[in-house]
Amino acid sequence: MKVAFMQSLRRRLTGGATRLLSNGADKGRGRIRQLILLIGVAYLGIAAKLVHLGLSHEAPQTLKSAADLAAAGARPDLIDRNGAILATDVKTMSVFAEPRNIIDKDEAVELVTAVLPDVDAHDLRERLNSKKGFVWIKRQITAKEQNEIYRLGLPGIGFWPENKRIYPNGVLGAHVIGFVDKDNIGIAGMEKYLDTQGLTDPHVPGFQLDPEALKPVKLSLDLKATQALRDELSQGLEKYKAKAAAGAILDVNTGEVVALESLPDFDPNDPPDMTKPANVGKINRINVGTYEMGSTFKALTIAMALDSGKVSLGSHVDARESLRSGRFTIHDFHATHRVLSVPEVFTHSSNIGTARMALMVGVQGHQAFLRKMGQLDRLTTELPESAKPQVPRHWGELNTMTIAFGQGLNVAPLQAVMAVAALVNGGHLMKPTFLTRDVDAAMASSEKVISEQTSESMRYLLRSNATHGSAGFANIDGYYVGGKTGTAQKIVGRRYSNDKVFNTFMAITPADKPKYLYLVIYDQPEAAPGDGGYHTAAYNAGRVAGSLIRRVEPLEGHAPFAAPPVHPFPLIARLGYGGDADKVGKE
Amino acid sequence: MWRLVHLFAIAALIGSAGYVYRIKYQTILEAEQIVKLKHQINKTKDEIGVLHAEYEHLARPDRVQELADKLLQMQPLALNQIARVADIPEKSAAADSIGHKLEELGLGMTTPSNGAAGATPASR
Repeated sequence: MKVAFMQSLRRRLTGGATRLLSNGADKGRGRIRQLILLIGVAYLGIAAKLVHLGLSHEAPQTLKSAADLAAAGARPDLIDRNGAILATDVKTMSVFAEPRNIIDKDEAVELVTAVLPDVDAHDLRERLNSKKGFVWIKRQITAKEQNEIYRLGLPGIGFWPENKRIYPNGVLGAHVIGFVDKDNIGIAGMEKYLDTQGLTDPHVPGFQLDPEALKPVKLSLDLKATQALRDELSQGLEKYKAKAAAGAILDVNTGEVVALESLPDFDPNDPPDMTKPANVGKINRINVGTYEMGSTFKALTIAMALDSGKVSLGSHVDARESLRSGRFTIHDFHATHRVLSVPEVFTHSSNIGTARMALMVGVQGHQAFLRKMGQLDRLTTELPESAKPQVPRHWGELNTMTIAFGQGLNVAPLQAVMAVAALVNGGHLMKPTFLTRDVDAAMASSEKVISEQTSESMRYLLRSNATHGSAGFANIDGYYVGGKTGTAQKIVGRRYSNDKVFNTFMAITPADKPKYLYLVIYDQPEAAPGDGGYHTAAYNAGRVAGSLIRRVEPLEGHAPFAAPPVHPFPLIARLGYGGDADKVGKE
Repeated sequence: MWRLVHLFAIAALIGSAGYVYRIKYQTILEAEQIVKLKHQINKTKDEIGVLHAEYEHLARPDRVQELADKLLQMQPLALNQIARVADIPEKSAAADSIGHKLEELGLGMTTPSNGAAGATPASR
């Protein structure tokens, strides 16, 4: 039995071996083929998976990468020209959730909203029920809130450090500095400029960035001068019951904006929603508003006439009668009814005189000059906010006549400031900047627009307007101030209003070798008690500019001169003019 | 002889293994320390940043102005209170009226000469 079994087994085994030997070659080849096929399929599978991984956009997210992407990025500090911090990042904790890891979502919502009452429960429940791996519960919580949430001991809820932008000086310089959103991305002002220049990396949180990579960015602003400007402007705003005020201080030799304020303003720590109509009044009036600059524009007209050579300081202009053009008549506000010399046209602020001078140059020349001075095109600076001037579509003789004295052309005040700075700094037109710049760099980027002599003539005219013209309120002893008022009637409906005015004042210090240009604007001021009902620019903008000069010049380290300069205007003195700028003032 | 060499080699092997083991764990410890310190440095830097911001907030010019108006019994700076160094007059010749009189009387030798390091205020 046993033997038989063994024999059959042996037969079977040997039989199998002989079978294998007999047709083994065919069978072996078939199996190898099968194996190749199998391996080929496996490789195809791997290749397909690779292609799939390569094409899929969603990288497998770890918690860390998800949090890093969502967290607010680091930004460089903004500092003023003296190194005071205007904006900086501080680290705060934000609380996040991983919805997949939360066991009882309803309980989590209940407990978290008990600690953080300002988180909307319905909204939070929706977020926790989403398919996302990472959601914020609340950004930038306090240490106390963090501690309380930690004590809840909820799984799937954690904390992540974030950067929060803070502005230690609050409202000061807010329009220049701008602000950021919750993700530390610049929304307005220089904050937005930083993002466009690649100076920030919003998707890499600061605690991972090399701190050296984020060098503080120095602005041209002077914090103390800015505060003085804001203080004086807001005092005037109250005193003259104006709708709005704005002001700027510009270094005429470098084009740096040393201070800029526009009231009403806002706190960048709690930025306003500018799309809401209630916040429209908070715009940056210096950059974004466009206004008829009034008589301050006369400086441009007279400079144009002088530079064209058609008029000299000794020329006379007939201002005896009002100027008629078609249906319109141009009057003088302080009518003199006589032939005026060019300095008198400026100090009496004669509309007729400046209109006649503009006509001497002609419409074409007038347009070309204003374009050269940058008054007809949009002025862009580092600030993302800018405005296009409103230029008349059909520019005829009447337009030239009115624009000559500042009506009929709306420009941004910063634009006018840029032009006047060029008139007094020797004729170098340079774009205002909100970053620091030295004189050489400024000169290299500037364009020569008028001659040195015309520039000196303008300085002389501005100075004489301070000593015996409308800028007397700003004539602060010891600073050799020159200035020009501008009272523009506001358009109400379709005509110029008689009692609603838009007032501007520009002053330069010192007039013989200007360093600063001051601009003060009041929108719709009223006469202060004791001013005899006057609400023209001299009484409000002029006065404020005066106290501003008195306050800012010592702050900037400029002591008053003991005596006026001996030869303030050498070029025109050779031609026999300019000697009276101070003599008359002392009479 | 060979036995001794072998023993020595084995001892050296064990010794060096132990040494490497110690070094390795020390390195790990140091690396952990470095990470800890780096964290601490970052934290301290953040705290310094917060303090800077706080200082700037407390020293902001409008707050200083408010406090000065409220707490200091001072008047605003007037421009005539500012003088340049160049505006300060040069030291005039010492007017020593008694000395003049003495000189007139022919007793001038006893007065200290102008600019000498004398002890009286008039001589300086």
